[in-house]
Amino acid sequence: MAASLAWFLHLQVYLPIAEMSVDAFLLVGVGFGVGWLSGLFGVGGGFLLTPVLILLGIPSTVAVASGANQTLGASVSGLMAQARRGNVDWQMGGVLVAGGLFGSVAGVQLFALLRRLGQVDAAVAIFYVVVLGSVGLLMVMESVRAISRRRRHGDAHRLHNHTWAHGLPFKVRFRKSRLYISVIPPLGVGFVIGVLSAVMGVGGGFMLVPAMIYILGMPTAVVIGTSLFQVVCVTAMVTFLQAVQVGGVDIVLTLLLLLGGVAGAQFGASMGGRLRGEETRALLGTLVLAVAASLLWDLLRLPPSLFSVGPAL
Amino acid sequence: MSARRGLFYALKRRARRPLCGRIFVGALGFLIAGLLSGPVSAQPSELVARLSTERVSITTAFIGESILVFGSTEQPLGPGGDEVIVLARGPQGPFVVRRKVNVLGLWLNGPSARFGDVPVFYAVAGTRPPWQLLPEQARQERGIGIDSIPLEFTGARAPGFRRALVELKRSSRLWQEDPSPIEIAGSRLFNFRLFLPSTVQPGTYRVEVMLVRARRIVATEQLGFIVQRTGSAAEIEKVASGQPVIYAILCILAAAFAGWAGSVIFRRG
Repeated sequence: MAASLAWFLHLQVYLPIAEMSVDAFLLVGVGFGVGWLSGLFGVGGGFLLTPVLILLGIPSTVAVASGANQTLGASVSGLMAQARRGNVDWQMGGVLVAGGLFGSVAGVQLFALLRRLGQVDAAVAIFYVVVLGSVGLLMVMESVRAISRRRRHGDAHRLHNHTWAHGLPFKVRFRKSRLYISVIPPLGVGFVIGVLSAVMGVGGGFMLVPAMIYILGMPTAVVIGTSLFQVVCVTAMVTFLQAVQVGGVDIVLTLLLLLGGVAGAQFGASMGGRLRGEETRALLGTLVLAVAASLLWDLLRLPPSLFSVGPAL
Repeated sequence: MSARRGLFYALKRRARRPLCGRIFVGALGFLIAGLLSGPVSAQPSELVARLSTERVSITTAFIGESILVFGSTEQPLGPGGDEVIVLARGPQGPFVVRRKVNVLGLWLNGPSARFGDVPVFYAVAGTRPPWQLLPEQARQERGIGIDSIPLEFTGARAPGFRRALVELKRSSRLWQEDPSPIEIAGSRLFNFRLFLPSTVQPGTYRVEVMLVRARRIVATEQLGFIVQRTGSAAEIEKVASGQPVIYAILCILAAAFAGWAGSVIFRRG
């Protein structure tokens, strides 16, 4: 019993696309941890997963492509649950996905170009620092403001905020979201998330959710479900394009991460139900900032080795 | 007497590692058969060498592998006698070495050098370090030692790239120089464990076993083995590179199904 447990704890598995041998239990554990956090905060967790994989020595191309594939798997059950509860605005989701598909095509082209230039590693890191840094900062500031406002005035409730996004043409009525806005902002949001999804190997929920709340002014009830719809569609597209164009999707890696990920997400989700909206957002913002800071440190400090070797393309 | 004791201890030590033990016993059987048939053949050879396997399979459980290079010599081995050198080379391939430069405080990949044709795997070992066994010129000509690998490159002109390639290859154990000396047992038997890390590339590998006498190579055995992907690792790689569209769709479906099935299994409450 103890021997078989020890064997399992040191089970090495060969990743056929990454062409390396890794500790299977470690990957399942990483999947579980990220899944737990994603269940807790209701986001895909790809923004944590890809940097951790790179940290473990998985090549950036494989980490990004397989991270997107794992995010797809991790989001499917969430989308199904939200759809059952009627929390998905399919109409708004369709517009976001349309933008997202174009964005992912553009993003994978950019990724392939960066790979040819030998700058994938640094580019992925810079993308992470910029995107996570600004999003994390916004989230923390906004939720701190919301918490202090609530302390002073109690729960202030408004349908949504009117922003510049409401003044553009091509207005459409989105019944479920109780919005009458132009399709340009959701298309643009979808496109940007698509690009980021392709380059960073994330679902983009951590950006999509605040964008839907602050830019589109969607009601919080449908935000999670609708963002999951966009995440599932766009990560499927990114998986497809990465596999065909770059060849970095490692199905063995994906399935090991998912094995831990789905279990962790269930535990996280049951804990997440006890957290309030603003507190959740403040915590998530802090986590996002921490990931950004560690990646920035890796870019700034003197690298342990100035040289790197790779196969010539 | 001491040689017999050495052999006994070698056997005993190996018995603790089941796989190596099996290989070693197989190797001994081979050797004994070779020794028995030796006097029958008209010309007894100076050097006989074999590999424990001629096929290395990369499966999904692949963690690297050790190959036993073993053999016997006619004349006694060791100090004052003959010496043996083992040289293993993998397939050749192009590599790019990049140097990081500081741009506005960030460390980015800067100049790069492309090495057109270098071995993806290289290992050399001897009963004594090869540079003690052969004259410098002969050693360089036969490509014995990492410093004798021709490293032609195009791109940035700086000597640092060549050294960096050697260092990176050595630290990943894809290039090995005297990882451990060749062991001698019974003064005429030798064996060397050739370690292949999990990052080895598929392809044809050549193993050259050389007999050195009086600072000259007097006999050579050319051996070889094939590294290939087998089982599901091979299937996955084959589909991914041969039919990427089908592979992509399979990845999407597999991830979606695994995510859904997992959530059903692990659902709480």
